[in-house]
Amino acid sequence: MLAFKLAFKNIFGAGFRTFLNIAVLSFAFVIIIWHNGVIDGWNQQARRDTIEWEIGQGQLWHPDFDPLDYLSYPDAHAPLSAPIKALVDEGQLAPILITQASAFPQGRMQGVILKGISPQQHILKIPSSKLETSGDEAPALIGTRMAKDIKMKEGDQLLLRWRDKNGTFDALEITIAGVFNCNVPTIDGGQIWLPLERLREMTGLPGEATILVAGDGYGGGGQPPWIFKNQDYLLADLDMIIQSKKGGGAIIYGLLLIIALLAIFDTQVLSIFRRQKEIGTYIALGMTRWQVVGIFTVEGSVYSILAILLGALYGGPLLWYSAKVGWAMPAASTDMGISIAERIYPVYGVGLILFTVLLVVLTATIVSFLPARKIARLNPTDALKGKVQ
Amino acid sequence: MKNTTILILSILFLSAFSVSPGADEILKKVEENMSSENRVFESEMIIHGRRGSRTITSKTYSVGDKQSFTEYLSPPREAGTKMLKLESQLWIYSPSTDRTIQISGHLLRQSVMGSDLSYEDMMDDRKLTEIYSARLIGEEKVDERNTYALELTAKVEDVAYHRRKVWVDTERFVPLREELYAKSGQLLKRTTLSDVQKIDGRWFPTVVVFKDMLKQGDGTEFRMTSIQFDQEIPEYLFTKAALKQ
Amino acid sequence: MIRFLIKGIMRDKNRSLLPILVISIGVFLTVLGSCWFKGIFTDMIDVNANFSTGHVKVMTRAYAENVDQMPNDLALLGASEFVRELNTTYPNLEWVERIHFGGLLDVPDANGETRGQGMATGWGIDFFSPGSNEPERMNIPGSIVQGALPSQPGEALISDDFARRFGISPGSPVTLFGSTMYGGMAFANFTVAGTVRFGMRALDRGAIIIDITDAQAALDMADATGEILGFFRDGQYDGEKAAAIKEAFNARYEGDPDEFAPTMLRLNDQNGLEDYLALSESISGIMIFVFVLAMSIVLWNTGLLGGLRRYNEFGIRLAMGEEKGHIYRSLITESVLIGTIGSVAGTALGLAAAFYLQEYGLDFGDAVQGGGIMMPEVFRTRVGPEAFYIGFIPGLFSMVLGNALSGIGIYKRRTSVLIKELSV
Repeated sequence: MLAFKLAFKNIFGAGFRTFLNIAVLSFAFVIIIWHNGVIDGWNQQARRDTIEWEIGQGQLWHPDFDPLDYLSYPDAHAPLSAPIKALVDEGQLAPILITQASAFPQGRMQGVILKGISPQQHILKIPSSKLETSGDEAPALIGTRMAKDIKMKEGDQLLLRWRDKNGTFDALEITIAGVFNCNVPTIDGGQIWLPLERLREMTGLPGEATILVAGDGYGGGGQPPWIFKNQDYLLADLDMIIQSKKGGGAIIYGLLLIIALLAIFDTQVLSIFRRQKEIGTYIALGMTRWQVVGIFTVEGSVYSILAILLGALYGGPLLWYSAKVGWAMPAASTDMGISIAERIYPVYGVGLILFTVLLVVLTATIVSFLPARKIARLNPTDALKGKVQ
Repeated sequence: MKNTTILILSILFLSAFSVSPGADEILKKVEENMSSENRVFESEMIIHGRRGSRTITSKTYSVGDKQSFTEYLSPPREAGTKMLKLESQLWIYSPSTDRTIQISGHLLRQSVMGSDLSYEDMMDDRKLTEIYSARLIGEEKVDERNTYALELTAKVEDVAYHRRKVWVDTERFVPLREELYAKSGQLLKRTTLSDVQKIDGRWFPTVVVFKDMLKQGDGTEFRMTSIQFDQEIPEYLFTKAALKQ
Repeated sequence: MIRFLIKGIMRDKNRSLLPILVISIGVFLTVLGSCWFKGIFTDMIDVNANFSTGHVKVMTRAYAENVDQMPNDLALLGASEFVRELNTTYPNLEWVERIHFGGLLDVPDANGETRGQGMATGWGIDFFSPGSNEPERMNIPGSIVQGALPSQPGEALISDDFARRFGISPGSPVTLFGSTMYGGMAFANFTVAGTVRFGMRALDRGAIIIDITDAQAALDMADATGEILGFFRDGQYDGEKAAAIKEAFNARYEGDPDEFAPTMLRLNDQNGLEDYLALSESISGIMIFVFVLAMSIVLWNTGLLGGLRRYNEFGIRLAMGEEKGHIYRSLITESVLIGTIGSVAGTALGLAAAFYLQEYGLDFGDAVQGGGIMMPEVFRTRVGPEAFYIGFIPGLFSMVLGNALSGIGIYKRRTSVLIKELSV
């Protein structure tokens, strides 16, 4: 306790210099939290969006289904068994039928993927209710990227040609019933969403599906022949990208932290140099040399505590504000094939803050201890005289 | 009374056939005319692309509808490339790489040489009468010739085109135009046949133009430069070993 | 006077070594840090530039319209003459031809018949021209898993996953079956020289990289190319210069209605990079500012300390009759010297490290994988012109400012007090 009291006294005694040290360390502190917060926020948002829009609580795949190999689509479908149908009726599973087709926007031929989804489903956020058939029109949903790509908007008509299960050609003019905006490129680019029953009818595959998306109630596990792919599997690519972003960011705040610690180190070296008589006095008063080392080390750690307090003072509102308004990302960043929201809202977890506090205090203590070790080798009489070599 | 009814009914029934030949009969006549035990022909395929047109010549040997062997003759780049079709399998051999590549499954749906034809289009070997039921819908003039207009609707499931319309020359029993429709009724492709010549005692169209109606472009022209029927074709030609020779 | 001060600095380690060390480290960190920011924020841009957009890109108008579909039937003809002309007209850019294509990769059995096949995306790039930067640009050497770069025509790199799936390895033959520029069938045999990992699932399933001349031969694209990419020779994308080049270039073809007339796009116009570029520039600006500010505070503090540390010395000097102003001036001169030495040393070290990391990068990839990937798992610094001077702001300016502030004490304190601090 004495050490802390002394430490605070000494530190405040140094006035302006102390403030400078603390300011830099608090910068590091706030930026570490902010940067990690942004990445965590992005991560959470990307995971959440991907879960809400694409993968749900996992997916059941037809064994032949390979999302990257469109040649696998014509064979990857199967009828739903009675127990699965029951789960679908309960809203635990949403069947999706996937097939390949050609679209002819402006007389050009372009390969597209057709996905059939039930207008009544509530597992995915895709606004499938817009696919509720009204009359003879064949309604379709596309994402904003696809809309831009084929230069179509709501109400436009698009000619599709596809083959049914027997390979028989069929063609139909569909009407774009809606353009949805979402951050998950994998359900947007090159894809057209149709009402499930309509696509089943178009392909001659009544009651069949390619994948089933699991909702909240689903217990997990496969349902032969369907193979269950859990969220970890389906999010693996995303996790990898986010991990690598974290690595790049760690260097930034590592450097910043080193700068701050350099300041503390420098201050410590000087204060030990200038306060030899004080050191000698402590020892003369009966303190052991290690106790004095302790006092100086604590002094150093107090910098970190003050820095955290200062950081909290200006960083708190700043971080709060940043979490509230988010960080606008350019629309274009979504073209890179990963889910990035238009706005990233940083998320500051308790764990993150505790970890950062610990990191700052610990490193500050270590760099304060290093020069203070010198005291332990000090001869008390020399110290009292102010002679340190 | 009963007998007169039967008589009237049977007259009505028979007259349906006697006024003009029945649709199936027309199709059968076309098939008799067009198909042969075997044939050997040389042809030019003219493909119109956005950068201009190019012509590919080839020589094809076919036996029945199941076996065919094609060797490309020009342009120099394609010369020596061979294609073997047995039933529903297709192999392509390229002399420059000395490789035989099998084209299977959904790859068969790719376009051949950038034309408006897919490999599959070239491989459909079933007789029209086997897969379609025909209906005579009228008589029309096509290219100054009188034709029967037939509507063909698939009676089996695994066909590429659910419905076709064929215009058949009333005298020569040669189709002069064909339109292919999607199940929904959308017109997908149009084929125009012309330059009908009498070869070995049968009428045969020597120019065929294929056009994908959904795509922009001028279509693909197919021109027979020589055709011979009922030739002796050695059996070994229809083996993979022959590709490499 | 200065020589005298230098001697003093050299002989008094307390006055020289520690401050110079601290300043050097600080400046080093500033320089490295700022290059790092620039590096990671332009990282995505660089990957895009290197893989697909170039700093500027020339295509036919028709090709540009459908660029996603790799429409090589709409390629540019007379490519080599075109590249030569571009090189003469815009010598500060490196112009390279690239062909991006799709096809079927077919693996033969002993009889030369199909054993396995899969769809693939392909690139034809310049492997063999002396001085070609293309393999490095696409980070190919760093992403090789097995084997090596192609060393002669007829060799290819394929994705490692594909190779494993079909049990082939360097030395095995593969055949590319695709479609020529004119729609004909394209066949070409290649020997696998090596396998690469892209880090993108779609490419890892099936991709082939061959020399541009092989691609031209295979796809019947004699002297034709899908794209001509231009890269600034210093490696730095300059949006304004690129815009000027683009405008001048496109103006030449303005009156030409031909859909096969060339058109130039700059990086900003492609893959929607415009906004991302703006964002990354502003963010890296802010971050560098914060960094320099923090470092300035630290070195200011060092300057302050440096002055404070010498109060007893000043006391003696005052007692000996030295003018206050003279002491102050010598203090400032000394700090300028120390600051300069420290900043120069720090900048030199920082630049060295930054250049190293610009070249080799820092790999955050999973080392166990046995090979890097092409997508950015490797982070690189980026040395911009500001890296050469930015370190002097904290290193010299704040250091001198700190000394100047602490030196004011000389005037404030009375001689007696300063002497007292001497306290023998």
